[in-house]
Amino acid sequence: MQDYNVVFSVLTKINALAGGLFILTAFGIIAMRQVLASLNMFIFQSILLAASAFVLGYQHSSIHLFVVVGITIVIKTILIPYLLRRIISKEVYARREISQVLNIPTSLLIAVALVIFAYFISSPLSNVTNDIFVKLNLPIGLAGLFLGGYVVIVRREAVPQVIGILSMENGAFFAGISIAPDLPLIAELTAAFDVLIIALVMGILTRRIHERVGTTEVGKLTSLREE
Amino acid sequence: MANKIIFNIIQVFVVMAFAPLIKGLINRLKENIQSKKGQSIFQPYLDIWKLFHKNEVISEHSSWIFRITPYIVFITPIFVALLIPVLTGYPLFFAFMGDMLGGGFILALGGFFASLAAVDTGNPYGPMGASRTRMVGFLAEPVFMIVFFTVSFIAGSTIPYIVHKHWVTPLANFFEPSHVLLMLAFLMLIIAETGRIPVDNPSGHFELAMIDESKGLEYSGKAAALMKWGGCMKFFVLLCIFLNVLVTPWGLAQGETLWEVLLAIPFILIKIFAFVIILVVIESSLAKLRLFRITEFLGAAFVTSITAMVTRLLEM
Amino acid sequence: MELIYIIIIPAVLAGLSLIPAHKKFASIVTILGTLVIFILSLNIAFRAADGMGVVAIKDWISCDSLGALVLLLVAFIGFTAAMISMGYIEKNVEEKNHKKIRHYYAQYNLFLLSMLTVPIISQVALVWIAVELTTLMSVFLVSFKNTPEALEASWKYIVLTCMGAAFALLGIFILCWGISISGNEKFTWAGLIVASTNIPPVLLKTAFVFVLIGFGAKVGIVPLHTWLPDAHSQAPSPVCALLSGIETTTVLYVILRLLPVLRIHPSIGAEMWLIVFGLISVGVAAFLIIQVKDYKRLFAFSTIEHMGIIMVAAGLGDYASHYGATLQIISHAITKSFCFFASGIALLFVGRQDIASVRGLIRTSPIAAIALIIGGLAIAGAPPFAIFLSEIMIIKSGLVNGQYIVTGFLAFFIIIAFCGILFPINRMVFGKPTEYSGKTNLSVTNIFVLIFAALPVILLGFYLPRPLHELLCHAAASLGR
Repeated sequence: MQDYNVVFSVLTKINALAGGLFILTAFGIIAMRQVLASLNMFIFQSILLAASAFVLGYQHSSIHLFVVVGITIVIKTILIPYLLRRIISKEVYARREISQVLNIPTSLLIAVALVIFAYFISSPLSNVTNDIFVKLNLPIGLAGLFLGGYVVIVRREAVPQVIGILSMENGAFFAGISIAPDLPLIAELTAAFDVLIIALVMGILTRRIHERVGTTEVGKLTSLREE
Repeated sequence: MANKIIFNIIQVFVVMAFAPLIKGLINRLKENIQSKKGQSIFQPYLDIWKLFHKNEVISEHSSWIFRITPYIVFITPIFVALLIPVLTGYPLFFAFMGDMLGGGFILALGGFFASLAAVDTGNPYGPMGASRTRMVGFLAEPVFMIVFFTVSFIAGSTIPYIVHKHWVTPLANFFEPSHVLLMLAFLMLIIAETGRIPVDNPSGHFELAMIDESKGLEYSGKAAALMKWGGCMKFFVLLCIFLNVLVTPWGLAQGETLWEVLLAIPFILIKIFAFVIILVVIESSLAKLRLFRITEFLGAAFVTSITAMVTRLLEM
Repeated sequence: MELIYIIIIPAVLAGLSLIPAHKKFASIVTILGTLVIFILSLNIAFRAADGMGVVAIKDWISCDSLGALVLLLVAFIGFTAAMISMGYIEKNVEEKNHKKIRHYYAQYNLFLLSMLTVPIISQVALVWIAVELTTLMSVFLVSFKNTPEALEASWKYIVLTCMGAAFALLGIFILCWGISISGNEKFTWAGLIVASTNIPPVLLKTAFVFVLIGFGAKVGIVPLHTWLPDAHSQAPSPVCALLSGIETTTVLYVILRLLPVLRIHPSIGAEMWLIVFGLISVGVAAFLIIQVKDYKRLFAFSTIEHMGIIMVAAGLGDYASHYGATLQIISHAITKSFCFFASGIALLFVGRQDIASVRGLIRTSPIAAIALIIGGLAIAGAPPFAIFLSEIMIIKSGLVNGQYIVTGFLAFFIIIAFCGILFPINRMVFGKPTEYSGKTNLSVTNIFVLIFAALPVILLGFYLPRPLHELLCHAAASLGR
């Protein structure tokens, strides 16, 4: 029994560590100036998601979550970056800076406000249960969702917007593995492949835009309007 | 009781004696990583010794601030060394004088006088460097405050001896997300305050680009020696705060015998040595930031510390 | 068993369309396949109209009355749009590029497959995946023309919809959490309704808001609608019919499915959310219709308006307004697809999409003009067309219920949209003709499709077949609970 308590406490702390670093990587995606650096932050974020899923799988003794760990690592850390690098031509990555709507310190402050908002929304929800993993993962996953959405809004280029959407899914899954660990396995599998297809489709579309329009600054594509 | 006074004095001697060694170590390791042979690790001692034997040249236009600053820069880290855990895990005789916040303010006092003195002489490079140092300083202040507040909130006290016990006893507390984020924020703070890459290049000679080094430009002879030594001691003291309170709160003497206290000296040196290696790796792999990017760097530190506070507060 | 066929057939068709056989092979195969799907779904609709649900695999694939309604619509419009693609797509693509036509049909079939699966899957998590797939399969259809505007439209489409889908994913996770807290029910629609008494209301409310915002982006709820006019006007016209007519309806079906779950706890105020968002959508769309310069965008904004009307009707709460909502779903789907067919034919004649350059269509191409007039009148809500009936029903039930303010605003916005739609169409159809640059020969199939698609539009304004009426009654009842 003593052993179990110690193990449990260590597991909660490791999960908490993964959670804290998860938020940090979400900030990192906002704060990075270069596309490849954002992509590396996303890979790191997916690894943290896998780590949290591993801890939760051990805790709930659920084989589903271990499968989630495997899928996350294979798809999000290996396949998706590979796809994004292959499909989109190199010169999109070679540019030094991404154009953004707001400068980085302002974005970081808004990001902190979004994190506080996420905690505020999820506090009535986490009062429903006593599970300490839920109390940790739900606000952090929701914050990841909001921060990813913020990245999509603020960045004007195609690839950072793709990374933003993928990190929103990361956030949703980070919350989901703690609150819905017994989702049917087929749902987890198909959701993972769905993320892969999103990356594939957006990558191909980016390549097409690059070929046809010459630039991937999708923020500049504003011709469809009522003028 | 007398023991505690003796331990305090030993602590101060350790800080005074080993600070230049750490400085020499960093410089040597940086050169080694760049495949150069590098200077001897005792070189700062030799420099200080040489400077003590030289004459001073003081500008006619400077005032008493210029003359008094080297002493202040030398004494303030010694004061702080009396307050923080360097060798022992329990408060010593003078520890009642101030807590971490007080220590931070005393260090800031030294920096304040150094900036004033840099403006005092009329050299054009002095005010330039001083204004940049103040910019970095004022951006780093919120981070300092929030880090200290969060640490105190978590541990329930502002006295460093009590704070570091919080991380020691239940080991699991070490891995709290707020703790990790605080370590990261404080690391960025140390880099900013002591003027290391990516904020500033400590071995650069180009006055137009200097931020922190410019405070020592005008001094010569004994004053220069005191400024150099004081700078090394400030670095040592900041590292002690960082390592002994936040990162590796182990290896401090718990008992009250002389032997234990003396045994703690190699421990602190090993810890600082390990951290110096990490610092050298960071320094060698990053480039110096452009001046206006320093705000983003410190903004990131600020955001990290706020996240640490938020994750702690809202987990309650 | 038919449900499984419905899933298999489009997948097979997609594969078949890629075979580089005779020039028209892909289109003929698609038309025949969609006809079979339509007949199968008619069968299912008849069985659902009798009151019993159709079950293929228990808890995984099944179909009740509301689902059968949506399924029937998807199949019907899939069939008509496939028929009109046959004459239309070849004219839009350069000569000899048969590969592109084959790709079009393959993507068409995959898109249809994803929309067919949404109403028949019972596991809620898989429904999310099906909705995501409807986006992913249609992105390349939207960017078919490969112009910079089409690419911009498809980029906005996928970015906004995927953002919404991530929000909806979290909402669905919260629903799953609620079910696992409340007992041992399976995570299906039926299971949600049974378990909803035990789920804490705060969970239901948060999940509903997330799903509303997330899937609302796909439906076109203001303020997340900005992609809709672009995507629905830049796509080729048969695809526009699919997007406007059924894709938005399918996603709205998913949102409406949550309504009976939330009624158990009246404190949640789900209806209030639906009414408010619906009214805002109708209002904004009505005012934006007035200043539109492109006739396909005109119809796209009208989609936003009608989705808002359906939401308001569902939110009004009693049986009559739910019946009005289901009737509106049918009438909007068939009318909107017909409108896009008409505008596609007009585009073939005129060659340009802006309203200002089109005048006097009735003299140069009477078929296109008549189709546009019928479509415009029908979608604006004039009698004797189907939408008029459903809108009157909704307004009447609102007045009977005492919701005067809501109904008043709704009627006001509908009138504004009425004028906003009919003035431009009036200008386009009548007046002195201008010079056009378009292909002027219209194949027989196109004319046949126009007539075939116009028939239900006109018919449903007079006469509701009995089985359809029963289907609508059951569907409205299942919304109420």
